[in-house]
Amino acid sequence: MVTLLATVLIHIARAALLVFGVTVLVFILVRAIPGDAVDVLAIEGGLTESQAEAMRAGLGLTASWLDQFTAWCLGALRGELGESLRFHVPVADLLLQAIPVTLALGAASLATGFVLAVAVALIATLRPRSMVASLVDILNIWSIAIPTFCAGLVAILVFSLWLGWLPVLGNFLVPVIILGLDAAGQIVKPLHEEMKELGTAVYIRTARAKGLHPLKIVVGHILPAAAPVLLAMTGLVAASFIGGALTMEVLFGLPGVGSLAFNAVNGRDYPLIQAVVLFLAVAVILINALTDLAQRLVDPRPEG
Amino acid sequence: MSTHDHEATQSGYPGPGRPAIERETGGRARRLPFSLLFGLAIVALFVIAALFGPMLDGQDPFSQDLLNRNQSPSLAHWAGTDNFGRDVLSRLLYGARLTLIVGVGGVICALIVGAGMSLTALAIGPWLAAAVFGFIDFIRALPGVLLALILIVALGAGLSSVVIALGIAFSPFFAYIARAAWRREMAADYVTAARTLGASRLRILYRHAMPNIGGALITLAAVILPRCIVTESVLSFLGLGVSPDTPTWGRMIADAVPLVERAPHAVLVPVFCLSLLTLALALLGNHVRAAVDPLRAGDPSGRQRW
Repeated sequence: MVTLLATVLIHIARAALLVFGVTVLVFILVRAIPGDAVDVLAIEGGLTESQAEAMRAGLGLTASWLDQFTAWCLGALRGELGESLRFHVPVADLLLQAIPVTLALGAASLATGFVLAVAVALIATLRPRSMVASLVDILNIWSIAIPTFCAGLVAILVFSLWLGWLPVLGNFLVPVIILGLDAAGQIVKPLHEEMKELGTAVYIRTARAKGLHPLKIVVGHILPAAAPVLLAMTGLVAASFIGGALTMEVLFGLPGVGSLAFNAVNGRDYPLIQAVVLFLAVAVILINALTDLAQRLVDPRPEG
Repeated sequence: MSTHDHEATQSGYPGPGRPAIERETGGRARRLPFSLLFGLAIVALFVIAALFGPMLDGQDPFSQDLLNRNQSPSLAHWAGTDNFGRDVLSRLLYGARLTLIVGVGGVICALIVGAGMSLTALAIGPWLAAAVFGFIDFIRALPGVLLALILIVALGAGLSSVVIALGIAFSPFFAYIARAAWRREMAADYVTAARTLGASRLRILYRHAMPNIGGALITLAAVILPRCIVTESVLSFLGLGVSPDTPTWGRMIADAVPLVERAPHAVLVPVFCLSLLTLALALLGNHVRAAVDPLRAGDPSGRQRW
């Protein structure tokens, strides 16, 4: 019990350190970018030199990096992430508007991929010579070879421009299908390999010998035993979607965190970049922790 | 026995009594698999195109012909022209060169940064290794595309900064693999023997362990290369590529997207080439992995999405 508590505490401490480290790293990187938000505004709006200097002082950009960083950290601990340098609204508001879009896109794509991968792997294990079985490799090769933004472009061209079925921007269906196929391709191959491997186990032979229906064997015995692999791959894909949705969001004009990050970096909007990175780091760490936990629940044997 | 086997394979469970090799090759004689030949042929085609294409084609990828803008493919322009009347085929061939240079350069940079950092730190001492891997964990907590994006903006657009950004974004993979291989090798008898003879850890690393660690690194490089090329085109597509007038494939796609209705070929041709190249490289990567490390050929962690 004590060791369990210690493990949990160490994990939390590590996660906190990781979030802090990423914050410092991005803080330094972002300020190493030549030109700041005022420069970008000056090019766009035509500010004089003295106006720009006054603006910098007003935004707190003239203080030393260390002062800026402590100020930002203290604010973040109080839940204040500062104001966007370009849009003059609290960064937290922008982030709160964007997060549901990204979450919806990520969750829908992940669910699509998960269901598709499990279904294909199940059928492929039951009927290894069927058409569905070859889908395992087709999906896997698709996800490796076709970059999502290329698939997205072709889909826009065909479905929106040539056939006119869907609007070009703000449409959710196509990115969900493309990301879902991508997720399915990554999950299905290792899952199927694992299920094939488990099919040779002694207890499966016993189940077959006592005349259990193959469907019951696959669903009731093999799939639960393959759950750790399924969960591990799903967790990996979920963590990668946190950033992977970026291109799809920009391409399909979805106002999510990815679009926000892209605009923030281009506009040198320091508080916004910091906030987006903080969110992404926390999300990635949270997903990894949840994957760990879920894996321990389905497979309580100690590691090693 | 044979009836049992027959039934077993039909209902999905590999029979217990048959040798694994026979099952895998279906009893046929061994020959080069199609995917290997296909991958080799496509990659060879693109490498030849990148090396000699700009000379063979004879068209200038930069010369504009404003009277012949957005032309569909024809005899004069096999892949049509873009919005400035530039020949798409010659830009594609010229772009193949840049795409391959950036991809291979990024992988080499990631290999040097990632494996170099982790192996040196591991050989010098566990404390340094802990510090270095702590730092690598920070890098890993950021999505690769976002990290590369910030790095390119910080370093300024240009061929070398794209290569460096890709190298840093992909370096953690090499660092982790190098650490795993290092740990495996350190447990081997020949390392104990070398240590007993008084060899330092650094000497053990470059004299004895390096050849064994190298295989794992080469495998990873083959797997990472297509991802590196795709990431480069994503960055170019987001407007952060090599430079506005250098035609990498991602840049060509990005430039052609606003006019996709009038000139769909200017988008489709580079998209097709990019997908074909990544497909071929991915197939080759699988074979490299199977050849270098036959036991782990079916390893699930082949790829993580950015």
